[in-house]
Amino acid sequence: MRLLLVEDDAMIGTSVQHGLRQDGFTVDWVRDGQAAELALGAESYDLVVLDLGLPKKPGLEVLRGVRRKKNLVPVLVLTARDAVSDRVTGLDAGADDYLVKPFDLDELAARIRALLRRRAGRADPLIRHGNLTLNPATRESTFNGKPLVLSVREFAVIQTLLDRPGAIMSRTQIEERLYGWGEEVESNAVEVYIHALRRKLGADFIKTVRGAGYMVPTKS
Amino acid sequence: MTSIRRQLITGLIAVVALAVFLGAAVVYRQARAELDQIFDYQLRQMALSLGDQSFESTLEGNAREEFDFVVQVWSREGLRIYFSRPHAVLPNRARLGFETMASAEGLWRIFSMQQRGVTIQVAQPMRVREQLAASAALRTVLPFIVLLPLLALVVWFLIGRGLRPLNAVANAVKARTPSALDALPVERLPDEVKPLVLALNDLLGRLAQALEMQRQFVADAAHELRTPLTALRLQTQLVERAQSEDDRRAANAAVSGGLQRATRVVEQLLTLARQEPEAGARGLTKIDLLDLARDALAEHALIAEEKSVDLGIVRGEPATVEGEANALRILLANLLDNAVRYTATGGRVDISIYTDDHRAVIEVIDNGPGIPLEERTRVFDRFYRRAASDGSGTGLGLAIVKRIVERHNGSVTLADAPERGLRVRVELPGTLA
Repeated sequence: MRLLLVEDDAMIGTSVQHGLRQDGFTVDWVRDGQAAELALGAESYDLVVLDLGLPKKPGLEVLRGVRRKKNLVPVLVLTARDAVSDRVTGLDAGADDYLVKPFDLDELAARIRALLRRRAGRADPLIRHGNLTLNPATRESTFNGKPLVLSVREFAVIQTLLDRPGAIMSRTQIEERLYGWGEEVESNAVEVYIHALRRKLGADFIKTVRGAGYMVPTKS
Repeated sequence: MTSIRRQLITGLIAVVALAVFLGAAVVYRQARAELDQIFDYQLRQMALSLGDQSFESTLEGNAREEFDFVVQVWSREGLRIYFSRPHAVLPNRARLGFETMASAEGLWRIFSMQQRGVTIQVAQPMRVREQLAASAALRTVLPFIVLLPLLALVVWFLIGRGLRPLNAVANAVKARTPSALDALPVERLPDEVKPLVLALNDLLGRLAQALEMQRQFVADAAHELRTPLTALRLQTQLVERAQSEDDRRAANAAVSGGLQRATRVVEQLLTLARQEPEAGARGLTKIDLLDLARDALAEHALIAEEKSVDLGIVRGEPATVEGEANALRILLANLLDNAVRYTATGGRVDISIYTDDHRAVIEVIDNGPGIPLEERTRVFDRFYRRAASDGSGTGLGLAIVKRIVERHNGSVTLADAPERGLRVRVELPGTLA
């Protein structure tokens, strides 16, 4: 899951980025409104964590701009102002959720997971597909009722594919979900993770669509 | 006695009573004068009419009690031949013409004349005239005396009605709370009360403004404290989550950085609050800016050295100002702190202190990135932080500088440094050393 973090304060930004990475998210961090718009125009994100008090362009304007472009990406707003009117303004401008500073890293991660779940159209906090169950909150997984050990990246790859079962994801698309800016992408990393996952889940769990990418077939 | 109503009533009644009394006195005097003329004429006429009578023998009149004239007639030989009321206390003699004489029964008005050998004297007690004059005077002022309480009542009522706007104003003032300091209504106010209400409104307006500024400051301060506190909270959570010793060490370092920043924000907020215009003036002393600059330089030398910033005084001339030593110390510290903070490693910060046209000048020139023209006013706003800043600043430094400069009736300007970077120039009114 690739997130865009828009936060002008260096200390808060560093900590949130660090914490969310520990939770298995890929986090790109920008520090002003204009950079946020550039990033949103250039990349596709699963979710945006948006601080409202931003230099160069206020967070609310960024948010309105995103919605004006019919971009449905879930947006979680961070605000230091806890007046009801501020929160209402934020939600009415198109935010999906908000957190008032100071907030808890765990709560932020939980709300992000909830938003992603809702976007994927699931009510169940666990991701289930066939005999595989993923818990995004704890990053634990079971297969055929037994605990399954997956690395952070492997978990991210299978979660990405299960996000929209039946859809084909190209190698580049998967890479984008896995690596933020400035992170070194090994040339055949995705193939390596797919290979490892097939070893653990069975060769048929992930299908290769030649010339297009990978998919997890919907259960027939 | 501070009640306007009681003062007015008392004064009014006293004046009216005095006027009534004076009026009565005047009426009495006039009536007396007129009555004197009329009665004197009557006395004379009566005496003249008596002159035609012949008084043949001595006889005693038997005039009735209510007839208050007394008549005496003497013969040529000086013998009293007629006396209308024997018991009257008049002397047995006569002086011709009019005469006023005191007797045991009070004053008498007497007219005496000689006619055909007899002396005729007609007398009347003055009491009659006094009584008539007094009753005339009383008749004139009686309505006023009767009306006086009524007048007092009406005035009492009228004053009450006239002062009612004051009560309304008092109630309106009572209803004002610190959160609702809107102006009092001035429509339909009497001219005497309007200046008071207008003055009050002026005060209310200034109060509301000051309160609003305070409220804004507190809100801004709370907001600004939230940022370092949020960072701290996140940093401590990262400490808890740390898996490895390296992680923990890094997280702990971040926490101490966060703490340092939070402390700085609080300190700067306090400093700013102390430099607010409302804070009372403190002792002014003659201060040599060069001495202060040397102290500030010493305090910042270590930080500058850590960053390999070349910090020094390039022009140090005596410059004396009258000011608050502590405030000026903070001013210099903030200027140097900013300059060192925003200058890249290996940069240079030059301080100049001198006097120019009776103005004491502090100049701090760095070769950092400078501040673009469009931001040069905004950086003096409190809590304004530039986009490019690293987040360690509080956004208060230059706001504090500005406050201190304003308190000293000076000016602060930002300009480009000769090469690149920022030149901060503070001018303060100088004094002779």
